[in-house]
Amino acid sequence: MSITKKRVLKALHFLIEYDTLVIFLIMVIISSTISDVFFTHTNISNLLRQVSGIGIISMGMLLVILTGGIDLSVGSIVALTSVLCGSFLLYMPVAIALICSVIAGVAIGSFSGYLISVHRIAPFIATLALMTISRGLGFIISKGSPIILNTSGSALINFGSGYLLGIPYPVFLMFIVFILVFIILKYTVFGRIIIAIGSNEEAVRLSGIKLKYYKFMVYCITGGFAAIAGIISTSRTGVGSPIIGVGLELDVIAAVVIGGANLSGGKGSAVNTLLGVLILGMIGNIMNLQDIPAYPQQVIKGLIIIVAVLLQGLQTKKKL
Amino acid sequence: MSPEYRVELLNVSKSFGGINALQKVTLKSKPGEIHALVGENGAGKSTLVKILSGACKKDNGIIKIDGVEVEIKNPQDGRKAGIGIIYQEFSLVPDLSVSENIYLHTLSEKKIFMRWQKMNRNANELITSLGFAINPLTKIRDLSIADQQIVEIAKALSENVKILILDEPTAVLAPNETSLLFDVLKRLKQKGVTIIYISHRIEEIFIIADSITVLKDGRVSGCYLVPEINKEDIIKLMIGRKLNAYFPKREIIHGDEIFKVENICVRDKVKNVTFSVHEGEILGITGLVGSGRTETVRAIFSADKKKSGTIRLNGVDLNIASPADAVSSGLGLVPEDRKNQGIILPMSIKCNISLTNLGRLSNKLGFIKNKKENCYTLQLMEKLAIKAESSEVIVSDLSGGNQQKVILAKWLGIDCKVLFLDEPTRGIDVGAKVEIYNLINELAAKGMCIVMISSEILEVMGVCDRILVMKEGAVQDMIEKDEFSVEHILRIAVG
Repeated sequence: MSITKKRVLKALHFLIEYDTLVIFLIMVIISSTISDVFFTHTNISNLLRQVSGIGIISMGMLLVILTGGIDLSVGSIVALTSVLCGSFLLYMPVAIALICSVIAGVAIGSFSGYLISVHRIAPFIATLALMTISRGLGFIISKGSPIILNTSGSALINFGSGYLLGIPYPVFLMFIVFILVFIILKYTVFGRIIIAIGSNEEAVRLSGIKLKYYKFMVYCITGGFAAIAGIISTSRTGVGSPIIGVGLELDVIAAVVIGGANLSGGKGSAVNTLLGVLILGMIGNIMNLQDIPAYPQQVIKGLIIIVAVLLQGLQTKKKL
Repeated sequence: MSPEYRVELLNVSKSFGGINALQKVTLKSKPGEIHALVGENGAGKSTLVKILSGACKKDNGIIKIDGVEVEIKNPQDGRKAGIGIIYQEFSLVPDLSVSENIYLHTLSEKKIFMRWQKMNRNANELITSLGFAINPLTKIRDLSIADQQIVEIAKALSENVKILILDEPTAVLAPNETSLLFDVLKRLKQKGVTIIYISHRIEEIFIIADSITVLKDGRVSGCYLVPEINKEDIIKLMIGRKLNAYFPKREIIHGDEIFKVENICVRDKVKNVTFSVHEGEILGITGLVGSGRTETVRAIFSADKKKSGTIRLNGVDLNIASPADAVSSGLGLVPEDRKNQGIILPMSIKCNISLTNLGRLSNKLGFIKNKKENCYTLQLMEKLAIKAESSEVIVSDLSGGNQQKVILAKWLGIDCKVLFLDEPTRGIDVGAKVEIYNLINELAAKGMCIVMISSEILEVMGVCDRILVMKEGAVQDMIEKDEFSVEHILRIAVG
């Protein structure tokens, strides 16, 4: 084999191994060449702020998907907690209102988790049920109309639109959640067992590990993260709205899948999931900058998901 | 003039990422010959037959069938060339009927409607020609393992195989079923089918095979006609040394009776099973397939729900409601199905071994102590002689014997009091078997109670101190060491 051929092979190997990163870099290059505005501070911080909600939820979704599950209820939890946050703020101090909202999100997640781990209901079905329940609760509490934040909500609005060191607060929050999940997966028993469950649930159970606890916990965590995303949304718009987050769960799942996670469990990483979120965000961002209408955007988004997943197919083939 | 050999593999080589799995292996077999392929763990038997069947691509070498060179790139090519392979894990669809499974491959032919009657009739004929009577409408799920194997063979025959590869066909069979299988193989031989027979049971080779190829470390270490060679020579060729005693001797020192189960019941599968184990004792459980051995052990471990029964360790009643309870009470289980229940294939040796002991290998915040974990795994790997470059090696890259040792390491590391071993040597070759026997002996010598299930009567006789024989979910008899004999045990097991 000639040296050049070896180099080509090596390069190809690299491309396949780091496919998510490669797609990410390609997206960055394309975006910055076709638009002068892309690499401006305003645009980047806008982009990051837009994806912060999805980014936070996707970290929870990654944990769920690693166990071999799925959570369809996150979009509805965002709506419910947005409404709850808006109404709590009418009666309580900000801090307590926020904590209560997050608790509500965890509660919805724990209900899914309970159905899935104790009653062994398929995650798809259990979270589908919780999806409509949460959405319905959001409408009931808000009586179908958005809840406009009162004066005590202004602190929250400041958070939603504020910057720290030139970075929007929600983006900070996203990175904190990312680092948290990164550490969980890489260094903790919890992360190790979650990955193991997705790879071979029965072997984990027969090793004397309390399977139910872990399967329960991942849905609680995701519920909590979705609640945080709901609060962020409220803080940006200044209203608690029951109609937000429709179809959000699909964007989140798409981001995790673009990040190379396997829907049957056991495979996926926090870094790649974050890259997946950014790729998804960039697709929308660059097309908005180019004034491409919303409908073709959806088609292009779908095509890019297909390309990403096909590339991952190459990766598994290479290993065999 | 027809060529002398049905199948010829000439100088076949294969490497996986720098490791040479096969080096210039040559194997030739005539029409109507049963050719045994033996070798230790990781000697390359599986790789070789995978190359022949198309499941794996060769790096170098030539494959000839009926004297003509063929290129086998994928399993379809293999099937077209007339090669059928029956793996240890059957490839049948449990919810389809016998005839549907046999003719599954024809479904891809361009026809719209099924011809059920013809299909069932043909399936019936095929099975009858093998000397069996299985209703072609039965679902695979409802068949015994032995019958499923016959269906696998029938399926291969329906595709007009000229070369049939069997990977350890008798590992899952009871003795009487084995002899039935041998009858089938003899019939196929008379029809001119070439059979490549992988087995770890050397005794079988003398009963069934015409010629033998021995592999060691990816090379052919010997190729003989069966009458020209004896058992000792085969073992020597396989492991490069003489095997003095197949079952290592040990001094039996029994302590008090510390583990006792009473009246274990599992719906209609296990009926009032009662037994006890002394400290340092190895209790064997044997019986035919479906006699409730595995179910009993799984019920004790709470891997499946039990209806009733008490379990006592050191005089204390254990309340075991889940495998987690079982493990924390000091029980350990090496399950029957290594790949689906015992081991996490895509994870590293380290992750697998430390799985049972993560509590002690982490700090209070739940962070894994890296150094401690590495130390712990390396120690166990050394103790059990797990052959791998490092503890980071992915378990699916290990041979069956080494995988089994990884599972044993999981329990060794946490010093469990009672260890259940369900077919611990299934699908493992002689060398690794002896290593595992030695380990079991060592554990017993340390005072561990060991309960070992095996369908190989010679094995339970060689390893165990007492043997519990089960039939149809109930205990038939408890046999003491001085009454051990194959005939006696078989008679009780069959009833």
